[in-house]
Amino acid sequence: MYLIEKNNVMKLAEELAKSYSLYGPVVDKDTKQVFFNKVDSASEISLTAEIPAIPPKNVVFPQIERILKYKYDKDAKKVEMAPDFDSSSKALFGIRPCDLTGIVVLDRFFMGLEFVDEVYLEHRKRMFIVSNTCTVPFKQCFCVCTDSGPSADEGYDLNLTDLGDVYLVEAGSDKGREFAEKMGLKAAGAEHTLEKKNAVDKSISLFEKIATDNKAWISRVMNRVTTGFIKEEVWEHIGKQCFECGACTFVCPTCSCFNIEDHNNFNGSTDRLRTWDSCSYEGYTKMAGDHNPRHPVEDRRNKRFFCKLSYSQSKKYLRPGCVGCGRCQWVCPGDIGLPNVVTYIRREITE
Amino acid sequence: MDYKSGVCNFCGTGCGNFLNIKDGKVSGIYSSRNHPVSKGRLCVRGWHFHELLMSDQRISSPMIKVDGSFKKAGYEEAINFMMEKMAKYSDKAAEETAFLASPRSSNENNYLFAKLARSVFKTNNITLDSESGHRSSMNVLGDGAGFPGMTGSLEDISKTGFILVVGSDITKMNPIIGSEIHKAQMAGTKVVTISSRVTQIARLSNTHLQIKPGSKKTLLAALAKAAIAEGKADADFITGSTEGYDGFATSVNNLDLKDIFSLTGIDSDTIAKIAGELCSAKSAMAFWSTGISGLDRDTVSYIYNLLLIAGKIGRENCGANPITGICNLQGGYDMGTAPDLLTGFQKLNDPEASAKFEKSWGVKLNKDSGKDLYKMLADKNSKLKCLVVADHDEGIVRYAKEIEALEFVAYFGTFDNPFVQYADVVFPIAGIIEDEGTYTNTERRVQLSRKRVEPFENVMPGWKLFPMIAAKASLSWKYNSSEDVFREITSLTPSYSGMTYDKIEKSFGIQWPCNDKYPDGCKRLDGAAEGKKFRFAPVTGRFAVPEANADYPILLITSQGQHFWHQNNIMKKTYIPRREYNATLLVYPKGYIEICKEDAGLLQVREHWNVKIVSSHGSMIVAVKISEDVKTGTAYVPYFIREMISSFLLEHNREFDKGEDTIIPIRIERI
Repeated sequence: MYLIEKNNVMKLAEELAKSYSLYGPVVDKDTKQVFFNKVDSASEISLTAEIPAIPPKNVVFPQIERILKYKYDKDAKKVEMAPDFDSSSKALFGIRPCDLTGIVVLDRFFMGLEFVDEVYLEHRKRMFIVSNTCTVPFKQCFCVCTDSGPSADEGYDLNLTDLGDVYLVEAGSDKGREFAEKMGLKAAGAEHTLEKKNAVDKSISLFEKIATDNKAWISRVMNRVTTGFIKEEVWEHIGKQCFECGACTFVCPTCSCFNIEDHNNFNGSTDRLRTWDSCSYEGYTKMAGDHNPRHPVEDRRNKRFFCKLSYSQSKKYLRPGCVGCGRCQWVCPGDIGLPNVVTYIRREITE
Repeated sequence: MDYKSGVCNFCGTGCGNFLNIKDGKVSGIYSSRNHPVSKGRLCVRGWHFHELLMSDQRISSPMIKVDGSFKKAGYEEAINFMMEKMAKYSDKAAEETAFLASPRSSNENNYLFAKLARSVFKTNNITLDSESGHRSSMNVLGDGAGFPGMTGSLEDISKTGFILVVGSDITKMNPIIGSEIHKAQMAGTKVVTISSRVTQIARLSNTHLQIKPGSKKTLLAALAKAAIAEGKADADFITGSTEGYDGFATSVNNLDLKDIFSLTGIDSDTIAKIAGELCSAKSAMAFWSTGISGLDRDTVSYIYNLLLIAGKIGRENCGANPITGICNLQGGYDMGTAPDLLTGFQKLNDPEASAKFEKSWGVKLNKDSGKDLYKMLADKNSKLKCLVVADHDEGIVRYAKEIEALEFVAYFGTFDNPFVQYADVVFPIAGIIEDEGTYTNTERRVQLSRKRVEPFENVMPGWKLFPMIAAKASLSWKYNSSEDVFREITSLTPSYSGMTYDKIEKSFGIQWPCNDKYPDGCKRLDGAAEGKKFRFAPVTGRFAVPEANADYPILLITSQGQHFWHQNNIMKKTYIPRREYNATLLVYPKGYIEICKEDAGLLQVREHWNVKIVSSHGSMIVAVKISEDVKTGTAYVPYFIREMISSFLLEHNREFDKGEDTIIPIRIERI
């Protein structure tokens, strides 16, 4: 464990920018919306900005990315084909614990199964991650219900915690430790561990007052979702509010479904693209001959919550699929962000 | 930062978004959390706007048709070709030349397009595409309330006490407005939907009045009559703030409430209850769709009059709210792309207004109203010979045969699409985010879309291209940017006069009127501030409801679905929405007809069976889809198949002109 003075903390980012493409939370000047985005200079990054509107998932699993390029020569009947995707080394600076948990879940999906996704691996393998403890929660947060904050406990190279004048810098990997040593950071003492514990405890205690938008006691509903004892009417109540926009899946730090499309360029070449997809779309599960295992909208909706909240699915991710960021709640045109769905199910249980 | 704020360009809601621009190219989209309309939401279309912007299905260079096929040409060459061809019609331009403007073009491009028509090519035959329903709404609100636009505001939906949704499948057509209504309902607002089919908004309403097809107007009149009869009408408001009440009251009195159940399928107790709720609510709004599937003038008049009776026009959190289906449908009218209008609904035959334009444009204007293009195309005796079209994005071209028969067609547009084939000369125009431009959403909010990428293959923006054409007619149009065009618009348009690009950008858009009286724009029509009396709209008093008969026992209603938006020409250029469309197309290659289980039983047909639909005008073969959303004796067809529209539905031109109330009596035959 190390310490760094508050006014020096961005030096870490500046140093990282020398060997990595640097990403972090950036506040849009005009609209005040926060994005997790690539920056040209470390000075654009704000460590105090609210939880970014767009999850950092976009860095490791972009909305649209080229995974292959090919060109077909009609006359020669030959095709030139080459994998062509982003292979830059990236540093994520100031990622929030919930979003880091999201990346850990994505790792288990893209790299933890028999098939390892090469494109994803390329984003991840040289990545340097600096996480940022939330010493104050935001309105929409409920990570305390999903065990994904307010402080990160895995997946980072360095973890920052604001202790007033200084940041506590914890190394979570050899790479992180080496970097901290290279930067000549002061060692922290036992009192700083206690200070961090107090800061995190204080943050948790503030949830009741500040994080008022969402509550989701998901442990209570996981059993129900897994065993399928939830009444049809509850799913129908949820399904009829679904506008089938796909937003909940796009903003979710752990949603990993994608679609593959070929984009024909004006110059005659073709890009094979991977794009985000969503289980809320009818075409997503449609099979040949009009078979669709999830045809009615409520079936598609309960699939999403099955994916996030059932034991069988959680065994794959080694945790629930929800990280408590609250984004799905504010982008939903209906009123069926995950926290609300949990509320609807709990209401049924208590009834 | 790669994310640049922008405005969605699909429907008329005007949601805010952020486009991810990397290396000069669009590579993603995100919703705008602080935008006053969308508040962080986008619909399925909006979440894939970037896919449309990435499309390479574009017009890349001017083209001239030689012996039936296009050859690329330079701008000069193509313009000279067009001027030469069109010179023939200049003497009789009022008879022979027409312009078709697009509700997807920016205000600046629409303004220049209309200016081109009137000052260079001397014709007032300017029609805004997909327009029928919106113009009727504008006429009713303009004549009655002096306010040709939505009188309420989308931001006030959450604060209103009562919402009436008339006909519109609003969660599919304008999903984010549907979302606002849904959220208001969850928070306690009473929502009542009137429609023949159970739509999503019907399911999310407190009350769904599932009327017999074609009886909307009758039901609205019955609501008005019930409000009066029960003494619920706002008498103080009617006496103090309106005129023309007696005429309207007499007309609705002719409606016999005894017959109302057989006419509409709704009993008089329910009608009295809803009328009471509407009148006693503190505030109320009514929503209806306009555009190609809009309501006719008479029905809109009844909605407006009903709100007047309830005292819900020009007051806080109230509104008569026509909803535009396409991004700049309202803006198109604001820019005067109509036979009889100049910008901001100034009348062409108003000498003062036209003198102002003559001075600014340096030409003499013909003050006689032009003709509607679609009427000209339908009229067998029409002398129309030449047509100039902008961004006609419809996949299915109405009056295709008639357009093909014209002597000369010029096309200006961004995307490659089926209409291009009808043209003799084609000009590309820089698209949204390749040029600056303003777009006016359904609640009169003028929003700025900035230039974010270079134009595709260096095609020209409108402010450069149109002046090149004007120059051939020895007119000097001097613009260095779209902003210059906007300055000219604001100088000529009282309702836009207080706007500048800077001001618009700083506040997520400004709702017109924005002028000396309303320097920050105008959220809603304010009756007290205007100090004018609202006039009841004249109504026909005719309540004929289409009846089924022995030959044609089923009434067919039509509409478009979420992914089948805007006849799909636009959606087909994206990935995910196209897949959704294709998924339906694969299963129903000829389209489908929704009927209820009972009717399917009577006809002895099953899900997916092909059946023949026969009307007095023609027939088509489609697959059966059994649905709980329609009642017995009613069938529903979403129009998304080219053949279905061109060879069957469009044969019913007279019915189709009624917009959303297109009702076709049919019989279904087994094959």
